[in-house]
Amino acid sequence: MGLVNFLVYLSIMMGIYAILSLSLNLQYGFTGLANFGHVVFFCLGAYISTIIVLVFKMPFILGLLGGMFVAGLFGYIISIPTANLKEDYWAIATLAAAEIVRIFFLNEDWVVGGGPYQGGAFGIGGIPQPLRSLFSAHTYPFFYLAIVLVCLVATYIIINTLTQSPFGRVIKSIREGDNLPQALGKDVKRFRMKVMAIGGSFGGLAGCLWAHYHGFISPNQFLPLETFIIWAMVIVGGKANNKGAILGAVIVMIFYNSTRFLKDYIPIEAVTLASLRMVAIGILIVVAMLFMKEGLIKEKKTLY
Amino acid sequence: MLKVENVHKSFGGILALNGVTFSVEPNSITGLIGPNGSGKSTLFNIISGFYNKDRGEIYFKGKKIEGIEPYRIAMLGVGRTFQISEVPEKMTVLENLLLAPKSQIGEGIFNVFLHPLKIKRENEKLLKDAYEILELVQLYHLRNEYAGNLSGGQKKLLSLGRILMSDPILLLLDEPTAGVNPTLIRDLIIAMKNLRAEKGQTILLVEHNMKVISEICDRVIVLDFGKKIAEGTPEEIQKNEKVLEAYLSGSSKWELLHEDS
Ligand SMILES: Nc1ncnc2c1ncn2[C@@H]1O[C@H](COP(=O)(O)OP(=O)(O)OP(=O)(O)O)[C@@H](O)[C@H]1O
Ligand SMILES: [Mg+2]
Repeated sequence: MGLVNFLVYLSIMMGIYAILSLSLNLQYGFTGLANFGHVVFFCLGAYISTIIVLVFKMPFILGLLGGMFVAGLFGYIISIPTANLKEDYWAIATLAAAEIVRIFFLNEDWVVGGGPYQGGAFGIGGIPQPLRSLFSAHTYPFFYLAIVLVCLVATYIIINTLTQSPFGRVIKSIREGDNLPQALGKDVKRFRMKVMAIGGSFGGLAGCLWAHYHGFISPNQFLPLETFIIWAMVIVGGKANNKGAILGAVIVMIFYNSTRFLKDYIPIEAVTLASLRMVAIGILIVVAMLFMKEGLIKEKKTLY
Repeated sequence: MLKVENVHKSFGGILALNGVTFSVEPNSITGLIGPNGSGKSTLFNIISGFYNKDRGEIYFKGKKIEGIEPYRIAMLGVGRTFQISEVPEKMTVLENLLLAPKSQIGEGIFNVFLHPLKIKRENEKLLKDAYEILELVQLYHLRNEYAGNLSGGQKKLLSLGRILMSDPILLLLDEPTAGVNPTLIRDLIIAMKNLRAEKGQTILLVEHNMKVISEICDRVIVLDFGKKIAEGTPEEIQKNEKVLEAYLSGSSKWELLHEDS
């Protein structure tokens, strides 16, 4: 891979993960929801969009909206039975929900119509790329990068507007406990459900962008490890700061991909390399927690 | 306004409330006193829906409030403060106040995008109210400070300001002046009296400071071991044998009360 191609690839990954970290940041950073299953939205967005576009032959934009809708709906629905769980139990429940969805796609290959598209453990290939025919193989990644950036900017604007609004004020108060918002007449459960739905749908957006970029998805791309990477982005970048969430995604993606260059310098096997990635991110989190508790960009004080 | 009938509540073996009955008249200021652990805060938690009662009834404006979530009770117009201040640390003093008003337009996600101008206007109006209240509780100079950096007394003042901002019909105040300096307490007393006159608010107040009680309360209710042992005007209560006895046997706070008065 040439350097330019690699940089475009890296930027696309950064953009997609920045959308994921912005959406987790809304849930965890601003609302205090320790969502350990964020990858589920990524997974749902990818699968639903793939099914809509590949199996039902609908346009990309409908796949994107459908993926966002289903992921958001899933976020809304999992908040119902879990509404009364304490924080730690809630975190475990989200982790479990994500695994259930992944294992569903692993075992139920009929959801993609079986036959030509395989599905299940084999994954699904040949996912169409939007407007592919208008570009050469060389220029298409640049176009896709533009799509990702447009989505990222839209995500940033929407989430940032929300967090700075009176809605944002309420979710920030929920972050520090239910008692006060309850006493002030705020329907805490509903606010949490809304936050899970919004965060979920943007997670779904990222999944859709991922699926149509790679053209291939499979259940083992949506392991709980992905959630860990998104968490690293929020923690390193700075929780409850939207710019921080983007910066965190950029830095963690650089770390994540830096190990691939190690093989040029040290003789190392590909399998070891993959594990080294996680070690690198683990070290990054530990360093962030020890030396910059609030991340690279601190939460901004709201002034009037 | 508020009617509490035969309310019982126990925690394991502790009988925190043992058949409490009283009522609060509209537009009155009623004091709720009693030794430590006599059940005052528990009663507040039950009225505001944070705890479930074991037995008994509570009526607010003639309607029974039963098994509904605290936020719904707040929406009906019952505002409360907490004995241990509930203050979101990572929100500024001003944000704490702006959070309080109920059903703001900007709390709806779609409104945020559909009605930005309305929200801006709403916010401006709320800001004006907030500045006024901040002057009253003397926190104006700290308006842009994180609430977590306030002292204990200042957090009490912030809680009081915040509940005024939410404009309830009935205020349940749990030791709002604990840790607040005496001259400021005086101002707050005047402010609370004015509020009642102006807006017709009703106040139920838990307070250990007898001076505050006798200065602002129309009536006083005394709890001891989860039971109402006396009710009357502040003067009557201060002379009541049972009350004296409860405080003498229960705790040393009574001496403190008399030192003040
Ligand atoms: N959540 C709880 N769990 C267990 N016991 C409780 C709980 N809340 C209150 N109690 C018990 O109920 C009794 C009454 O407590 P409460 O807080 O109502 O007293 P209080 O009159 O407000 O006292 P103080 O003047 O010290 O604030 C106490 O014995 C207390 O230990
Ligand atoms: Mg108490």
